[in-house]
Amino acid sequence: MTYDWSVIWQYRAAFADGTAMTFLLAVLTMAIAVPGGIVLALLRLSRSSAIAGASTALVEFFRNLPLILLVYWAFYVMPMVIEIELSPFATGLTALALNVTAYNSETFRAGINSIRRGQTEAALALGMSRAQAMRVVVFPQAWRRVLPVLASTWVSLFKDTSLVSVIAVGELAHVAMEIRSQTFRVLEVLTAMGALYWLLGYPQAKLADWIHRKFGVTE
Amino acid sequence: MDFDFSPIIENWRYLLGGLGVTLALSAVTVLASLLLGTGIGIARVFGPAWLRLPLILYIDSMRAVPVLVVLVWTFFAVPILLSGLSLPPFWAAVVALTVHIAAYVAEIVRAGIESIRPGQVRAGLALGMSRAEVVRKIILPQAVVRMLPAFGSIVSITIKDTAIATVIAVPEYMKRSETLAGQSYHPIEVFTFAMIVYFLILFPVTRLIDVAYRRVAHLGRS
Repeated sequence: MTYDWSVIWQYRAAFADGTAMTFLLAVLTMAIAVPGGIVLALLRLSRSSAIAGASTALVEFFRNLPLILLVYWAFYVMPMVIEIELSPFATGLTALALNVTAYNSETFRAGINSIRRGQTEAALALGMSRAQAMRVVVFPQAWRRVLPVLASTWVSLFKDTSLVSVIAVGELAHVAMEIRSQTFRVLEVLTAMGALYWLLGYPQAKLADWIHRKFGVTE
Repeated sequence: MDFDFSPIIENWRYLLGGLGVTLALSAVTVLASLLLGTGIGIARVFGPAWLRLPLILYIDSMRAVPVLVVLVWTFFAVPILLSGLSLPPFWAAVVALTVHIAAYVAEIVRAGIESIRPGQVRAGLALGMSRAEVVRKIILPQAVVRMLPAFGSIVSITIKDTAIATVIAVPEYMKRSETLAGQSYHPIEVFTFAMIVYFLILFPVTRLIDVAYRRVAHLGRS
Protein backbone atom coordinates (compact mmCIF):
# COMPACT_ATOMS: atom_id res chain seq x y z
CA MET A 1 0.00 0.00 0.00
CA THR A 2 1.42 3.34 -0.99
CA TYR A 3 0.23 6.53 0.54
CA ASP A 4 0.03 9.86 -1.18
CA TRP A 5 0.02 12.65 1.34
CA SER A 6 0.30 15.41 -1.26
CA VAL A 7 -3.51 15.57 -1.52
CA ILE A 8 -3.61 17.15 1.92
CA TRP A 9 -1.38 20.02 0.84
CA GLN A 10 -3.22 20.28 -2.46
CA TYR A 11 -6.53 20.78 -0.66
CA ARG A 12 -5.10 22.99 2.10
CA ALA A 13 -7.41 25.89 1.24
CA ALA A 14 -10.49 23.67 1.62
CA PHE A 15 -9.23 22.34 4.96
CA ALA A 16 -8.61 25.92 6.14
CA ASP A 17 -12.12 26.97 5.10
CA GLY A 18 -13.61 23.99 6.90
CA THR A 19 -11.66 24.81 10.05
CA ALA A 20 -12.82 28.42 9.93
CA MET A 21 -16.41 27.25 9.50
CA THR A 22 -16.08 24.92 12.49
CA PHE A 23 -14.90 27.82 14.68
CA LEU A 24 -17.61 30.10 13.34
CA LEU A 25 -20.31 27.54 14.13
CA ALA A 26 -18.99 26.99 17.66
CA VAL A 27 -18.68 30.72 18.39
CA LEU A 28 -22.14 31.59 17.05
CA THR A 29 -23.72 28.66 18.89
CA MET A 30 -22.20 29.81 22.18
CA ALA A 31 -23.22 33.40 21.46
CA ILE A 32 -26.82 32.21 21.25
CA ALA A 33 -26.67 29.52 23.93
CA VAL A 34 -25.21 31.60 26.78
CA PRO A 35 -27.94 34.26 26.87
CA GLY A 36 -30.50 31.58 25.96
CA GLY A 37 -29.33 29.39 28.83
CA ILE A 38 -29.49 32.28 31.32
CA VAL A 39 -33.04 33.12 30.25
CA LEU A 40 -34.18 29.49 30.50
CA ALA A 41 -32.52 29.10 33.91
CA LEU A 42 -34.22 32.23 35.26
CA LEU A 43 -37.57 31.11 33.83
CA ARG A 44 -37.09 27.79 35.56
CA LEU A 45 -36.55 29.55 38.89
CA SER A 46 -39.66 31.63 38.26
CA ARG A 47 -42.40 31.65 40.91
CA SER A 48 -45.04 30.79 38.32
CA SER A 49 -45.14 27.01 38.15
CA ALA A 50 -46.46 27.06 34.58
CA ILE A 51 -43.43 29.02 33.34
CA ALA A 52 -41.01 26.94 35.42
CA GLY A 53 -42.61 23.73 34.20
CA ALA A 54 -42.48 24.74 30.53
CA SER A 55 -38.83 25.70 30.84
CA THR A 56 -38.01 22.42 32.62
CA ALA A 57 -39.81 20.39 29.95
CA LEU A 58 -37.94 22.19 27.15
CA VAL A 59 -34.56 21.66 28.81
CA GLU A 60 -35.18 17.99 29.63
CA PHE A 61 -36.44 17.29 26.12
CA PHE A 62 -33.41 18.69 24.32
CA ARG A 63 -30.94 17.19 26.80
CA ASN A 64 -32.36 13.72 26.24
CA LEU A 65 -32.04 13.60 22.46
CA PRO A 66 -29.11 12.53 20.30
CA LEU A 67 -27.77 15.71 18.70
CA ILE A 68 -27.50 14.06 15.28
CA LEU A 69 -31.25 13.36 15.35
CA LEU A 70 -31.90 16.99 16.25
CA VAL A 71 -29.79 18.00 13.24
CA TYR A 72 -31.81 15.77 10.89
CA TRP A 73 -35.04 16.94 12.44
CA ALA A 74 -34.12 20.60 12.02
CA PHE A 75 -33.14 19.91 8.41
CA TYR A 76 -36.22 17.97 7.27
CA VAL A 77 -38.99 19.04 9.58
CA MET A 78 -38.41 22.66 10.55
CA PRO A 79 -38.73 24.11 7.02
CA MET A 80 -42.06 22.33 6.57
CA VAL A 81 -43.45 23.28 9.97
CA ILE A 82 -42.43 26.94 10.14
CA GLU A 83 -42.35 27.31 6.36
CA ILE A 84 -39.06 29.17 6.25
CA GLU A 85 -36.34 27.84 4.00
CA LEU A 86 -33.13 28.03 6.02
CA SER A 87 -29.64 27.42 4.65
CA PRO A 88 -27.89 24.26 5.90
CA PHE A 89 -25.63 26.54 7.96
CA ALA A 90 -28.56 28.23 9.72
CA THR A 91 -30.24 24.85 10.21
CA GLY A 92 -27.13 23.31 11.76
CA LEU A 93 -26.69 26.38 13.94
CA THR A 94 -30.28 26.09 15.15
CA ALA A 95 -29.86 22.43 16.11
CA LEU A 96 -26.57 23.09 17.92
CA ALA A 97 -28.01 26.14 19.69
CA LEU A 98 -31.07 24.23 20.92
CA ASN A 99 -28.86 21.48 22.32
CA VAL A 100 -26.27 23.71 23.96
CA THR A 101 -28.87 26.15 25.33
CA ALA A 102 -30.48 23.26 27.21
CA TYR A 103 -27.12 22.24 28.70
CA ASN A 104 -26.18 25.82 29.56
CA SER A 105 -29.50 26.37 31.27
CA GLU A 106 -28.70 23.49 33.65
CA THR A 107 -25.24 24.94 34.22
CA PHE A 108 -26.61 28.36 35.13
CA ARG A 109 -29.36 26.91 37.29
CA ALA A 110 -26.82 24.84 39.24
CA GLY A 111 -24.58 27.92 39.55
CA ILE A 112 -27.38 30.09 40.89
CA ASN A 113 -28.59 27.35 43.26
CA SER A 114 -25.06 26.86 44.58
CA ILE A 115 -25.23 30.29 46.25
CA ARG A 116 -26.84 29.77 49.63
CA ARG A 117 -30.46 30.92 49.95
CA GLY A 118 -29.54 32.89 53.04
CA GLN A 119 -27.64 35.36 50.88
CA THR A 120 -30.67 36.12 48.72
CA GLU A 121 -32.81 36.40 51.82
CA ALA A 122 -30.31 38.78 53.42
CA ALA A 123 -30.31 40.92 50.27
CA LEU A 124 -34.12 41.03 50.25
CA ALA A 125 -34.10 41.90 53.97
CA LEU A 126 -31.80 44.82 53.16
CA GLY A 127 -34.55 46.13 50.87
CA MET A 128 -33.18 45.01 47.51
CA SER A 129 -35.58 43.90 44.80
CA ARG A 130 -35.31 40.29 43.56
CA ALA A 131 -33.65 41.48 40.36
CA GLN A 132 -31.14 43.51 42.37
CA ALA A 133 -30.41 40.58 44.67
CA MET A 134 -29.70 38.43 41.59
CA ARG A 135 -27.54 41.06 39.92
CA VAL A 136 -25.59 42.35 42.90
CA VAL A 137 -25.33 39.31 45.18
CA VAL A 138 -25.89 36.03 43.32
CA PHE A 139 -24.43 36.51 39.82
CA PRO A 140 -21.00 37.85 40.84
CA GLN A 141 -20.43 34.71 42.93
CA ALA A 142 -22.18 32.24 40.63
CA TRP A 143 -20.16 33.03 37.50
CA ARG A 144 -16.97 31.62 39.04
CA ARG A 145 -18.69 28.26 39.45
CA VAL A 146 -20.32 28.45 36.02
CA LEU A 147 -17.20 29.30 34.04
CA PRO A 148 -15.41 25.91 34.32
CA VAL A 149 -18.55 24.06 33.23
CA LEU A 150 -19.00 26.46 30.31
CA ALA A 151 -15.41 25.71 29.31
CA SER A 152 -16.17 21.98 29.23
CA THR A 153 -19.35 22.63 27.26
CA TRP A 154 -17.31 24.66 24.77
CA VAL A 155 -14.91 21.75 24.23
CA SER A 156 -17.85 19.37 23.65
CA LEU A 157 -19.53 21.86 21.34
CA PHE A 158 -16.39 22.27 19.28
CA LYS A 159 -16.40 18.52 18.67
CA ASP A 160 -20.15 18.31 18.18
CA THR A 161 -20.04 20.78 15.29
CA SER A 162 -18.77 17.78 13.28
CA LEU A 163 -22.29 16.31 13.42
CA VAL A 164 -23.78 19.01 11.20
CA SER A 165 -21.64 17.56 8.39
CA VAL A 166 -24.55 15.15 7.74
CA ILE A 167 -26.64 18.02 6.36
CA ALA A 168 -23.78 19.31 4.19
CA VAL A 169 -22.64 22.31 6.23
CA GLY A 170 -19.13 23.01 4.94
CA GLU A 171 -17.26 22.57 8.22
CA LEU A 172 -14.12 20.51 8.75
CA ALA A 173 -15.70 17.03 8.83
CA HIS A 174 -17.86 17.67 5.77
CA VAL A 175 -14.98 19.20 3.82
CA ALA A 176 -12.83 16.16 4.61
CA MET A 177 -15.58 13.74 3.52
CA GLU A 178 -15.94 15.65 0.24
CA ILE A 179 -12.21 15.57 -0.47
CA ARG A 180 -12.21 11.87 0.39
CA SER A 181 -14.87 11.08 -2.20
CA GLN A 182 -13.17 13.26 -4.84
CA THR A 183 -9.67 11.88 -4.43
CA PHE A 184 -10.29 8.37 -3.03
CA ARG A 185 -7.30 8.97 -0.72
CA VAL A 186 -9.41 7.71 2.18
CA LEU A 187 -6.73 7.02 4.76
CA GLU A 188 -4.74 10.19 4.11
CA VAL A 189 -7.73 12.53 4.17
CA LEU A 190 -9.41 10.97 7.21
CA THR A 191 -6.12 10.95 9.10
CA ALA A 192 -5.56 14.60 8.25
CA MET A 193 -9.07 15.39 9.48
CA GLY A 194 -8.41 13.55 12.75
CA ALA A 195 -5.05 15.26 13.16
CA LEU A 196 -6.59 18.70 12.57
CA TYR A 197 -9.33 18.10 15.13
CA TRP A 198 -6.69 16.83 17.54
CA LEU A 199 -4.44 19.85 17.04
CA LEU A 200 -7.37 22.22 17.53
CA GLY A 201 -9.12 20.31 20.32
CA TYR A 202 -6.16 19.26 22.48
CA PRO A 203 -5.12 22.77 23.61
CA GLN A 204 -8.76 23.66 24.23
CA ALA A 205 -9.27 20.57 26.40
CA LYS A 206 -6.11 21.45 28.34
CA LEU A 207 -7.27 25.05 28.73
CA ALA A 208 -10.60 23.80 30.08
CA ASP A 209 -8.71 21.65 32.62
CA TRP A 210 -6.70 24.69 33.68
CA ILE A 211 -9.87 26.76 34.13
CA HIS A 212 -11.28 23.94 36.26
CA ARG A 213 -8.20 23.98 38.48
CA LYS A 214 -8.07 27.76 38.73
CA PHE A 215 -11.76 28.42 39.34
CA GLY A 216 -12.96 25.09 40.69
CA VAL A 217 -14.64 25.49 44.08
CA THR A 218 -13.76 22.75 46.53
CA GLU A 219 -16.14 22.58 49.42
CA MET B 1 -50.86 20.24 7.14
CA ASP B 2 -51.79 16.58 7.02
CA PHE B 3 -49.88 14.03 9.00
CA ASP B 4 -49.70 10.43 7.94
CA PHE B 5 -48.22 8.04 10.44
CA SER B 6 -49.01 4.94 8.40
CA PRO B 7 -45.39 4.43 7.20
CA ILE B 8 -44.36 4.07 10.85
CA ILE B 9 -47.20 1.67 11.64
CA GLU B 10 -46.63 -0.39 8.50
CA ASN B 11 -42.89 -0.67 9.17
CA TRP B 12 -43.02 -1.21 12.90
CA ARG B 13 -40.98 -4.43 12.69
CA TYR B 14 -38.24 -2.67 10.75
CA LEU B 15 -38.08 0.16 13.31
CA LEU B 16 -38.29 -2.21 16.27
CA GLY B 17 -35.36 -4.15 14.83
CA GLY B 18 -33.44 -0.86 14.64
CA LEU B 19 -34.29 -0.14 18.25
CA GLY B 20 -32.95 -3.59 19.15
CA VAL B 21 -29.68 -2.81 17.38
CA THR B 22 -29.46 0.56 19.19
CA LEU B 23 -29.97 -1.10 22.57
CA ALA B 24 -27.58 -3.98 21.81
CA LEU B 25 -24.91 -1.55 20.57
CA SER B 26 -25.40 0.59 23.69
CA ALA B 27 -25.22 -2.37 26.06
CA VAL B 28 -22.08 -3.87 24.52
CA THR B 29 -20.40 -0.45 24.35
CA VAL B 30 -21.27 0.49 27.95
CA LEU B 31 -19.94 -2.82 29.29
CA ALA B 32 -16.75 -2.72 27.23
CA SER B 33 -16.11 0.96 28.07
CA LEU B 34 -16.62 0.41 31.78
CA LEU B 35 -14.18 -2.51 31.81
CA LEU B 36 -11.54 -0.84 29.64
CA GLY B 37 -11.98 2.59 31.24
CA THR B 38 -11.79 1.28 34.80
CA GLY B 39 -8.60 -0.60 33.95
CA ILE B 40 -7.07 2.49 32.36
CA GLY B 41 -8.19 4.77 35.20
CA ILE B 42 -6.69 2.50 37.87
CA ALA B 43 -3.51 2.03 35.81
CA ARG B 44 -3.20 5.78 35.47
CA VAL B 45 -3.38 6.39 39.22
CA PHE B 46 -1.58 3.34 40.62
CA GLY B 47 0.32 2.02 37.59
CA PRO B 48 4.04 2.35 36.87
CA ALA B 49 5.33 5.82 35.95
CA TRP B 50 6.30 4.89 32.36
CA LEU B 51 2.71 3.89 31.63
CA ARG B 52 1.22 7.13 32.90
CA LEU B 53 2.29 9.40 30.04
CA PRO B 54 0.91 7.25 27.19
CA LEU B 55 -2.35 6.80 29.11
CA ILE B 56 -2.73 10.54 29.69
CA LEU B 57 -1.99 11.15 26.01
CA TYR B 58 -4.66 8.61 25.02
CA ILE B 59 -7.27 10.03 27.40
CA ASP B 60 -6.67 13.64 26.41
CA SER B 61 -6.61 12.78 22.70
CA MET B 62 -10.01 11.14 22.93
CA ARG B 63 -11.33 14.18 24.77
CA ALA B 64 -10.01 16.35 21.94
CA VAL B 65 -11.36 14.46 18.92
CA PRO B 66 -15.05 14.18 17.90
CA VAL B 67 -16.60 10.72 18.18
CA LEU B 68 -17.67 11.04 14.53
CA VAL B 69 -14.01 11.22 13.53
CA VAL B 70 -13.15 8.12 15.58
CA LEU B 71 -16.07 6.21 14.04
CA VAL B 72 -15.30 7.18 10.47
CA TRP B 73 -11.58 6.57 10.89
CA THR B 74 -12.11 3.14 12.47
CA PHE B 75 -14.50 2.07 9.73
CA PHE B 76 -12.84 3.53 6.62
CA ALA B 77 -9.16 4.03 7.42
CA VAL B 78 -8.27 1.04 9.62
CA PRO B 79 -9.00 -1.53 6.87
CA ILE B 80 -6.58 0.34 4.59
CA LEU B 81 -3.93 0.67 7.27
CA LEU B 82 -4.12 -3.00 8.30
CA SER B 83 -5.04 -4.35 4.88
CA GLY B 84 -7.47 -7.21 5.25
CA LEU B 85 -8.81 -6.37 8.68
CA SER B 86 -12.22 -4.90 7.97
CA LEU B 87 -14.88 -5.03 10.64
CA PRO B 88 -18.61 -5.15 9.93
CA PRO B 89 -20.26 -1.78 10.76
CA PHE B 90 -21.74 -2.96 14.06
CA TRP B 91 -18.40 -4.12 15.47
CA ALA B 92 -16.53 -1.15 14.05
CA ALA B 93 -19.02 1.02 15.94
CA VAL B 94 -18.48 -1.01 19.13
CA VAL B 95 -14.71 -0.58 18.84
CA ALA B 96 -14.81 3.12 17.99
CA LEU B 97 -17.38 4.07 20.61
CA THR B 98 -15.59 2.00 23.26
CA VAL B 99 -12.21 3.54 22.52
CA HIS B 100 -13.80 6.98 22.79
CA ILE B 101 -16.03 6.48 25.83
CA ALA B 102 -13.48 4.45 27.83
CA ALA B 103 -11.34 7.60 28.03
CA TYR B 104 -14.19 9.41 29.79
CA VAL B 105 -14.72 6.43 32.11
CA ALA B 106 -11.00 6.49 32.96
CA GLU B 107 -11.30 10.17 33.96
CA ILE B 108 -14.32 9.43 36.14
CA VAL B 109 -12.45 6.57 37.85
CA ARG B 110 -9.42 8.78 38.45
CA ALA B 111 -11.52 11.63 39.89
CA GLY B 112 -13.37 9.16 42.12
CA ILE B 113 -10.14 7.66 43.46
CA GLU B 114 -8.54 11.05 44.00
CA SER B 115 -11.59 12.32 45.88
CA ILE B 116 -10.78 9.97 48.79
CA ARG B 117 -8.77 11.98 51.32
CA PRO B 118 -5.08 11.00 51.42
CA GLY B 119 -5.31 10.72 55.21
CA GLN B 120 -7.33 7.54 54.78
CA VAL B 121 -4.56 5.93 52.71
CA ARG B 122 -1.99 6.90 55.32
CA ALA B 123 -4.18 5.55 58.09
CA GLY B 124 -4.55 2.25 56.22
CA LEU B 125 -0.81 1.98 55.64
CA ALA B 126 -0.16 2.83 59.31
CA LEU B 127 -2.41 -0.08 60.29
CA GLY B 128 -0.09 -2.37 58.35
CA MET B 129 -2.15 -2.86 55.19
CA SER B 130 -0.39 -3.30 51.87
CA ARG B 131 -1.01 -0.69 49.13
CA ALA B 132 -3.19 -3.19 47.24
CA GLU B 133 -5.25 -3.79 50.36
CA VAL B 134 -5.69 -0.06 50.93
CA VAL B 135 -6.94 0.33 47.36
CA ARG B 136 -9.27 -2.66 47.57
CA LYS B 137 -10.65 -2.21 51.07
CA ILE B 138 -10.58 1.54 51.66
CA ILE B 139 -10.42 3.52 48.45
CA LEU B 140 -12.52 1.57 45.93
CA PRO B 141 -15.60 0.85 48.11
CA GLN B 142 -16.08 4.59 48.71
CA ALA B 143 -14.88 5.77 45.31
CA VAL B 144 -17.21 3.45 43.37
CA VAL B 145 -20.26 4.99 45.04
CA ARG B 146 -19.03 8.48 44.21
CA MET B 147 -18.50 7.43 40.58
CA LEU B 148 -22.05 6.09 40.16
CA PRO B 149 -23.81 9.27 38.99
CA ALA B 150 -21.05 9.87 36.43
CA PHE B 151 -21.34 6.26 35.23
CA GLY B 152 -25.04 6.94 34.85
CA SER B 153 -24.38 9.81 32.49
CA ILE B 154 -22.00 7.52 30.58
CA VAL B 155 -24.99 5.25 29.88
CA SER B 156 -27.08 8.10 28.50
CA ILE B 157 -24.13 9.54 26.54
CA THR B 158 -23.50 6.11 25.01
CA ILE B 159 -27.12 5.69 23.89
CA LYS B 160 -26.99 9.14 22.30
CA ASP B 161 -23.63 8.45 20.64
CA THR B 162 -24.86 5.20 19.06
CA ALA B 163 -27.06 7.38 16.84
CA ILE B 164 -23.87 8.77 15.28
CA ALA B 165 -23.06 5.23 14.10
CA THR B 166 -25.58 5.96 11.34
CA VAL B 167 -22.69 7.59 9.40
CA ILE B 168 -21.05 4.17 9.00
CA ALA B 169 -24.42 2.55 8.15
CA VAL B 170 -24.98 0.56 11.31
CA PRO B 171 -28.66 -0.46 10.96
CA GLU B 172 -29.66 1.07 14.30
CA TYR B 173 -32.72 3.21 14.99
CA MET B 174 -31.33 6.46 13.58
CA LYS B 175 -30.18 4.83 10.34
CA ARG B 176 -33.47 3.04 9.85
CA SER B 177 -35.40 6.26 10.51
CA GLU B 178 -33.37 7.97 7.79
CA THR B 179 -34.05 5.12 5.36
CA LEU B 180 -37.74 5.09 6.15
CA ALA B 181 -37.98 8.88 5.93
CA GLY B 182 -36.37 8.78 2.50
CA GLN B 183 -38.46 5.93 1.13
CA SER B 184 -41.82 6.99 2.49
CA TYR B 185 -41.45 10.75 1.85
CA HIS B 186 -42.75 11.37 5.36
CA PRO B 187 -39.69 12.78 7.15
CA ILE B 188 -41.79 14.92 9.53
CA GLU B 189 -43.63 11.97 11.01
CA VAL B 190 -40.66 9.58 10.99
CA PHE B 191 -38.12 11.97 12.57
CA THR B 192 -40.59 13.38 15.09
CA PHE B 193 -41.48 9.83 16.08
CA ALA B 194 -37.76 9.05 16.41
CA MET B 195 -37.41 12.03 18.78
CA ILE B 196 -40.17 10.67 20.96
CA VAL B 197 -38.64 7.18 20.94
CA TYR B 198 -35.18 8.40 21.95
CA PHE B 199 -36.64 10.69 24.61
CA LEU B 200 -38.73 7.86 26.04
CA ILE B 201 -35.61 5.71 26.35
CA LEU B 202 -33.21 8.36 27.61
CA PHE B 203 -35.43 10.24 30.06
CA PRO B 204 -36.27 7.21 32.26
CA VAL B 205 -32.60 6.16 32.15
CA THR B 206 -31.44 9.50 33.55
CA ARG B 207 -34.28 9.53 36.11
CA LEU B 208 -33.67 5.94 37.27
CA ILE B 209 -29.99 6.68 37.75
CA ASP B 210 -30.81 9.74 39.87
CA VAL B 211 -33.14 7.70 42.08
CA ALA B 212 -30.70 4.80 42.39
CA TYR B 213 -27.91 7.19 43.31
CA ARG B 214 -29.92 8.86 46.06
CA ARG B 215 -30.42 5.43 47.64
CA VAL B 216 -26.72 4.61 47.86
CA ALA B 217 -25.23 8.11 48.23
CA HIS B 218 -24.72 7.74 51.99
CA LEU B 219 -22.28 4.86 51.39
CA GLY B 220 -19.83 7.24 49.68
CA ARG B 221 -19.63 9.82 52.43
CA SER B 222 -16.54 9.99 54.54
